[in-house]
Amino acid sequence: MAVKNLKSIKTLALLSAGAATLALSMPTLAQDRVVLTLHPIDSDALVENFNPNNPTGPQQMVRDFAYEPLWIDNIWNPDKDYPALATSYEIADDLMSITYKLREGVKWSDGEDFNADDVVFTFNYAKAHQDYPMAIDVHVEETDTGSVVSAEKIDDYTVKFTLKEPDSLAKYAIGGIYPLPEHIWADIEDPKNYANTKPVGTGPWTEVTNFSRSSVELCRNETSRYNAENAIDCLRFLQLNGNEQIIAAMSAGEVDWLGTGLTDPEITFTPQSEFNNYWLPPGGDVNLQINTTKAPFNDLEFRKAISVAIDRDTIVDISTFGLTTHTRFPVGTGETYANWFDEAALEPYTWLMQYDPDKAIELLDAAGFVDADGDGFRDNPDGTPISFEINIPNGWTDWINTGQTISENLQDVGVNAVVRTMDQGAWNDKARTGDFDSYIMWTNGGPTPYNTYNPMFNPRNMEKGRVDYQAMHQMRLPEVEAALDAFRSTADPAEQMEQMKNIHVAVAENLPVIGLFANPTWYEYSTRNFEGWVTEENPYVRPVVFEGTRERVIHALSLKPIAK
Amino acid sequence: MLYILRRVAFYLAAFFVAVTLNFFIPRIMPGDPSARIIASFQGRLNEAQIEAIRASYGTTGSMWEQYLGYVGQVLRMDFGISTVQFPEPTSSLLFYGATWTLVLVGIAITFAFLIGTMMGIHAAWNRGGFFDSVFTPINVMLNAFTPAVVALLLFYAFSLQLQWFPLGRAHSTGLSPSLSFEFIGNVLYHATLPVLSILIVSFGGWHLGMRNVMINLLNEDFVILARAKGLSDRRVRYRYVARNAILPQITSLALSVGFLLGGALVTEQVFNYPGLGKFTVTAIESRDYSFIQAQLLLLTMSVLVANFLSDIANVVLDPRLRKG
Repeated sequence: MAVKNLKSIKTLALLSAGAATLALSMPTLAQDRVVLTLHPIDSDALVENFNPNNPTGPQQMVRDFAYEPLWIDNIWNPDKDYPALATSYEIADDLMSITYKLREGVKWSDGEDFNADDVVFTFNYAKAHQDYPMAIDVHVEETDTGSVVSAEKIDDYTVKFTLKEPDSLAKYAIGGIYPLPEHIWADIEDPKNYANTKPVGTGPWTEVTNFSRSSVELCRNETSRYNAENAIDCLRFLQLNGNEQIIAAMSAGEVDWLGTGLTDPEITFTPQSEFNNYWLPPGGDVNLQINTTKAPFNDLEFRKAISVAIDRDTIVDISTFGLTTHTRFPVGTGETYANWFDEAALEPYTWLMQYDPDKAIELLDAAGFVDADGDGFRDNPDGTPISFEINIPNGWTDWINTGQTISENLQDVGVNAVVRTMDQGAWNDKARTGDFDSYIMWTNGGPTPYNTYNPMFNPRNMEKGRVDYQAMHQMRLPEVEAALDAFRSTADPAEQMEQMKNIHVAVAENLPVIGLFANPTWYEYSTRNFEGWVTEENPYVRPVVFEGTRERVIHALSLKPIAK
Repeated sequence: MLYILRRVAFYLAAFFVAVTLNFFIPRIMPGDPSARIIASFQGRLNEAQIEAIRASYGTTGSMWEQYLGYVGQVLRMDFGISTVQFPEPTSSLLFYGATWTLVLVGIAITFAFLIGTMMGIHAAWNRGGFFDSVFTPINVMLNAFTPAVVALLLFYAFSLQLQWFPLGRAHSTGLSPSLSFEFIGNVLYHATLPVLSILIVSFGGWHLGMRNVMINLLNEDFVILARAKGLSDRRVRYRYVARNAILPQITSLALSVGFLLGGALVTEQVFNYPGLGKFTVTAIESRDYSFIQAQLLLLTMSVLVANFLSDIANVVLDPRLRKG
């Protein structure tokens, strides 16, 4: 790729002012645009589809950048949120509704005004098209699922959302609604099949340019309110696939911003180019999910023994290449929610996270797990042999290494556990049945630990045949269910802290999952063309390039081209 | 003529069996297309939405009904829509992948066949000579290399370190397909390393095959007769020996068409080349039934057609077959 000659913003602004001259000299100017290349999704070929709610790729390209949400929560700096299409919100005292003031004077990229009608339309549209998930948890009466009952226009720039149950956390979900322009989408009858080749949004980049199977650009929205501060003319998305190709592309200067998995980055990544940088802040925890509906996992002493038999130092330092981080307490979540921990209450449980094979042997012996048939492995107290599988998808190297370490650790204390790798489809199917021994499993994340514990303990997620990844332990804990309800039903931070403590203690007490480590958050960036990246010293937003991190648009807008 | 008709009947039967297998094999695998889509929401869907997605992306009706529907679709040349890149028609992705596979593997096989066969003729004619004793062992050794190793070595040396060739892709991202010199040159430039990586490991096979058949034929009576008649070396070599020796080579060439449209997975992966192999692997991983079916069908069709053509070529080259 030719070296980009990056013009100063001022020159560009001048040029775009003289639109007529610009049009005439377009071919030469095309080289001078400031283009940020980011890679939020792997593919074999790009498809001309920019439907903001199509999860197979388009959503990764146009959400946040072309289509704005109502509100951008700044998860790492909660006192510095970024209002987007809304400017403020108010939660009703009874927590049964939430009212948003919308931003006035915003125009869609085709020149139409944005107002409350679009937001109400979007809600009703989501309700009418259940097979087209729009990031809105619409309440459905027939199945009694979903939390948002209605959206109501109060005036042109005020919308009130009514909830099914008191919910202090609804602002996080509703803030993530991406309004669609009513004047375009009202005529689309089958949205999931709609390719939306000319996206009309309010975000900083809406204009699809230079589409090909291998590259596409999303260029400046001339009506965007961000234009004064936005130094980037176009976002470029490349067709790329496979870690070697992706890292080579960044090293060669073709890509600026990545979230790809690395192994041994000091050898495979940093030396490839002086501009290659990475930072891997701790992300969500990874747990061993054990099926507590069957022996021997239904025995708490056995679960405690497993937990202390695992050598987490080896797993963090060697099995996962030193890229993961330790978790202090056996509660299934870790450092991303560190400010929710009541350390005094959890201190008595820290021994469960310490490697102590002698203690494991002692616990197993005391609970009657001894070798009854003389095969060298321990058996259940009733004499039936113990032999279980740790299921992991093929090719997930770090997890397979982790599984092997666990298997060795457990065999050291006489428990016969083996790693079984399988095709992802089979792995997924087996999880849903609820009939398995154990899985290594990620946790769901969100603005509060509620987003992790709710799927983990919601009884609806434990029905055989539709078991959710998060609830694979299948252990119902009434005290956790009650605490989750209480957590959601209060807006008082002190009360929420108290309820979270109850959840943590109940989990540590019962060990439905065995905590392993915190996954890294993958973030790689190149300082070849841009500066202003999120760094460990300046973590102004979460630096994730993927959809689901609404702050990514703020990150992109904060980047400035390096003058050459 | 009867020979050709018998072959046609055989191909029709084979086609029908293949269509049936194409339908059932993907469905025997665990998992279904909607699972990938649901998984991509990472738990952000409620139950009603999950059910709605299952109904609309998944499959409805009994296996038998689905099968009949599928056969009907095949006869209408309708290949359905891809779930990996929903809602792109399968045929457009298949066509895109097939085009680049034809470029890549087509060039590679053509060169491998021509180079290998010519070298084989030469080595057999002067067997035991300098050319034979140097190149035959070298080619056998190259033939034993795996494409993965060769592709990675070429990628590392010429793309990553020396940077003589691009990192991958079929053409530069700024260019749009056209019949200009610039575009064709760009495509050939991008195809150089991928083609080499296939060529290096495959021409040895043709060399060896051609050489062995040639050597057997050289002692046949008709060759001795041809020589005794005083025909020129050249005429004996090409019109008498090579023409007979090439028959099994043509049959193998037809078989390698299956390899051609199966794509060259490893090469495509290493050089990010948009060929069918990559698309097919992604489709299999995410249970994109319609793509898997269409790709398998294309594969079967092309192997059958290629075999048919090689049957005809054999008839043309070998007059003895014309009687039956």
